[in-house]
Amino acid sequence: LAVTAACGSGGGSDDTVTLRVATGLSEQHAWWSDSMVPWMDRVEELTDGQVTFQSFTGGELVEVPDEVEAIQNGTVDVALILPIYTPDQFPMAEVTMLPVSESDTLIGSEAWRALVESDVELGDGKTYYESQFGDQGIKAFPVSTTQEYSISTTGQELDSVAAVQGLSLRTPSRIHEIYASKIGVNSVTIPAVEMFDALSRGAFDGSFYSVADWSGYGFQDLFEYTLTGLDAGHFNGLIGMTQDRWDSLPADVQDAMTQAHDEIFTPGAQEWVDRSDEMIEYNEERGGQFVDLSTLDQSVQDLMLDGVEATWQDYIDLLEADGLPGTDVATLWRDLLVEAGGSVPEPIQDLG
Amino acid sequence: MDRLTSAYRLWGGVKLAGALVSGIAIFAMMLFIVADVVSRNYLGGSIAGSFEVAQNYFMPLAVFPALAYVYAAGVLPRMDLLRDRLPDALRHAITHVLVVLEVVLLVVLVHYTWVYAMSGMDRGVAFPAGGSLYTLWPLFFLVPVAFAMVLIETLFVLGRNVLGSEVSLTFAEAQEEARP
Amino acid sequence: MSEVLVITVVVAGFALLLLAGHYIHSVLLLAGVGGLVLLDGAAILTGLLGPQPFARTASYTLTTIPLFVLMAQFILQADIVKDLFYVVNKISRGSRGLLGSLTLLAGSMLGAVSGSGTATAASLGQVAVPELRTNGYSPRLAGAVAAAAGSLSGIIPPSIILILYGVATETPVGDLFAAAIIPGLLVTAVFVVVMAVYLARSGIDPAALRPAEDTLPRIPRRRLVVSLTVSGLIVLVVFGGIYSGTVTPTEAGAVGAFTAFLAALVLGKVSSRFLSTSLVETVKVTVMVMLILIGAQVFGRFVSLSLIPRRLIDALEPIVETPALMLAILALVFFVLFMFIEGAAVILMSVPVVLPIIEVMGVDVLWFGVFIAVIASVGLITPPVGLSVYAVSGATGISAGAIFRPALVFAAAAAIVVCGLLVLFPGLATWLPGAGT
Ligand code: NA
Ligand code: NA
Repeated sequence: LAVTAACGSGGGSDDTVTLRVATGLSEQHAWWSDSMVPWMDRVEELTDGQVTFQSFTGGELVEVPDEVEAIQNGTVDVALILPIYTPDQFPMAEVTMLPVSESDTLIGSEAWRALVESDVELGDGKTYYESQFGDQGIKAFPVSTTQEYSISTTGQELDSVAAVQGLSLRTPSRIHEIYASKIGVNSVTIPAVEMFDALSRGAFDGSFYSVADWSGYGFQDLFEYTLTGLDAGHFNGLIGMTQDRWDSLPADVQDAMTQAHDEIFTPGAQEWVDRSDEMIEYNEERGGQFVDLSTLDQSVQDLMLDGVEATWQDYIDLLEADGLPGTDVATLWRDLLVEAGGSVPEPIQDLG
Repeated sequence: MDRLTSAYRLWGGVKLAGALVSGIAIFAMMLFIVADVVSRNYLGGSIAGSFEVAQNYFMPLAVFPALAYVYAAGVLPRMDLLRDRLPDALRHAITHVLVVLEVVLLVVLVHYTWVYAMSGMDRGVAFPAGGSLYTLWPLFFLVPVAFAMVLIETLFVLGRNVLGSEVSLTFAEAQEEARP
Repeated sequence: MSEVLVITVVVAGFALLLLAGHYIHSVLLLAGVGGLVLLDGAAILTGLLGPQPFARTASYTLTTIPLFVLMAQFILQADIVKDLFYVVNKISRGSRGLLGSLTLLAGSMLGAVSGSGTATAASLGQVAVPELRTNGYSPRLAGAVAAAAGSLSGIIPPSIILILYGVATETPVGDLFAAAIIPGLLVTAVFVVVMAVYLARSGIDPAALRPAEDTLPRIPRRRLVVSLTVSGLIVLVVFGGIYSGTVTPTEAGAVGAFTAFLAALVLGKVSSRFLSTSLVETVKVTVMVMLILIGAQVFGRFVSLSLIPRRLIDALEPIVETPALMLAILALVFFVLFMFIEGAAVILMSVPVVLPIIEVMGVDVLWFGVFIAVIASVGLITPPVGLSVYAVSGATGISAGAIFRPALVFAAAAAIVVCGLLVLFPGLATWLPGAGT
């Protein structure tokens, strides 16, 4: 790693450090453009040029979901890590994907940060951070979560139980697959890049997706019906490096990184909100509808909310079966989310 | 020389077996994807984890077992126009250099893909699909094994080049060129 | 070592190894590995070499490579090309111009059920060249017509070149297929015109002209009907399936191969020999493409890490501001590259360098893919490395050198006319994918 730093700095003086940074996401992705880039800029500013970054985006050096591997094997120093994509390495990262009845980007982000920074010991005597990141030798700063995921379709309305249960939706994560099976929706798994084409030709009906992220694949022109008032979870991410790399940095650089993270966190979340507003306005102008769950037939509401409860239970069981503190992490997430202003169906409020 | 040739003939059986594994994997992948299309369109949903299984299980099996067979088949493209016009001595020298470079490259490939496979095993790498986790790391070992097979093939070529009268990048070609 | 020095050493080594006649994938790997080590030390190979072969191979989109090749193999091994050409010959009886035109048209139809030009060129060489010769075509023109007809598989979708470009640039393959249809037909049209000009100027080759007689063994009408119906059905399943949304472009490879397999069953062609030949040939092409992909991936990592694209964009800044000039230069560079190097390899090794330039110029990545694919497909018939010409030469015994002379004219005409039209009217490529949605 010292080699990397020395090489990267182009043989500069001893006290300057050049850090190689990578993401598999595109340069336009809000986590890159509005969390990572401002963070790097701020660190460079705060350290007065002592630290500089050399960045590689769009998978040109490291692809999704290999970012963690890349910091561990020394390909890069810092990466935007997306633990949900590798549940084999981060089995409890998906907890933020659990569906709830009410949340938004700011609530989800605040709860995510609180979870990562929480000192509550889970069943195994470790904090969430220790068990997911610290024990794997990773130093990580949480970035905002994405906006909440919604169900969007190319026109099919979810106005009856029969309509919901006839749907075929793309399920981008394991939790969505569980939830889909609980509410009787058919799961479609195809790569994200093929989704626009397949959806526009009617290969299936829609997807779980976050509205703010629509523009990445042009979905603002495709979806015509979006269900709101059911929050199908938040995707999460972190700025990560190895603990060794972190420990090798001077204390003032560490402080600068911590301060910069604190400063960029909320503006980073706000970007998703702005993007979502833009998408909604554009989509509504084109005739897209945003329908709140509470306006639908009671039987549909019951189906969707019962599904939420069953999904939490399944997820807890899944973790417990692997010897992980499933109930503890789920209830901690619930408490932090509610504290941040979100809400969950009653049976989940009674959990734990 | 004859012993090398007969050893090479035995080795040919191993390579052919690898090619058959890959051929069968391709045929099976075809059936699997067709079944997935039918399932999604007429049976109400994708086969659980279909595309992840196709890419993570079928594709590596379609490629790596056949690697040494295809190497030996002499179909891999190269720009040999200039080479064919060179005087024999220079051409021989260059070919020796290329084969030695190939041996070095393959040793490097075997080493680093082996390291990757071992680290995958340590981490127990699995991929999420259809609501569950599928073990992935054992397939990582296909890669160093495949490159090791190519290394063996290249060592045969090297042996043939050193012992025989013609030099070439493939064993069969050297045999042919050596014929009067 | 400074980065500029490393880049110089690697580029020089790359060129030397290529000229020395080393395998293209090995050149890419050696240059990539050498460059990475010089740039960053051997430790970097743990992350940028070790995982690449598996990661590159385990790709859903790339399932189309073996499966479209398998589809073509099933069609070839089921003798459908023979049947198709038999019909061509019957229809054009007596008319030389018509026979050549229909041969080219048959090539574009075969292109719609085959992903690669080489395989179709070989079988067209076998069945079409004798007939063209009988009708007074000189050997080199007959060979060039067959090779050109075969090369159409490279641009008429489905096309492996387009799939690889789509994978390397993350452009939807379905859009690329749609975008290539009109340019593919344009290339066919240019080939027909060039052939007509050659015919008019060269006259009849008296050595070959024989009285009209059945030189082809008679094929029963029933078999012809079945054969043409099933090949039509394969096209329908692939394109109809994609268009109707029943299958994604990726799945179309599997469904097309399966349909071709059923067709071969109906035609009574399936035997263990049929299966083993089809599968082994498919494995060869698949492994060849994948090895180059892996090599290009590792080389691409070196390209990224050495910041070559960023340096190049800075250096080319004055030219980049005149996109038309830059495109003309790129077209010329690619034409030359495709002359010497196999198409898939050129696409894969150039994308990491060229794509950032294209994006800076604001050129549509989809459009550029079709632009490159046109040049790549005519590259199949340009000397010195023209796989389609070699395939025809191998199948007929006509010397490759002789075929290359007219073939180069076919290629240059098609590249200049079709690429020129694409620059003047970008809609030729972008209209169909847009209309699809
Ligand atoms: Na084609
Ligand atoms: Na060529």
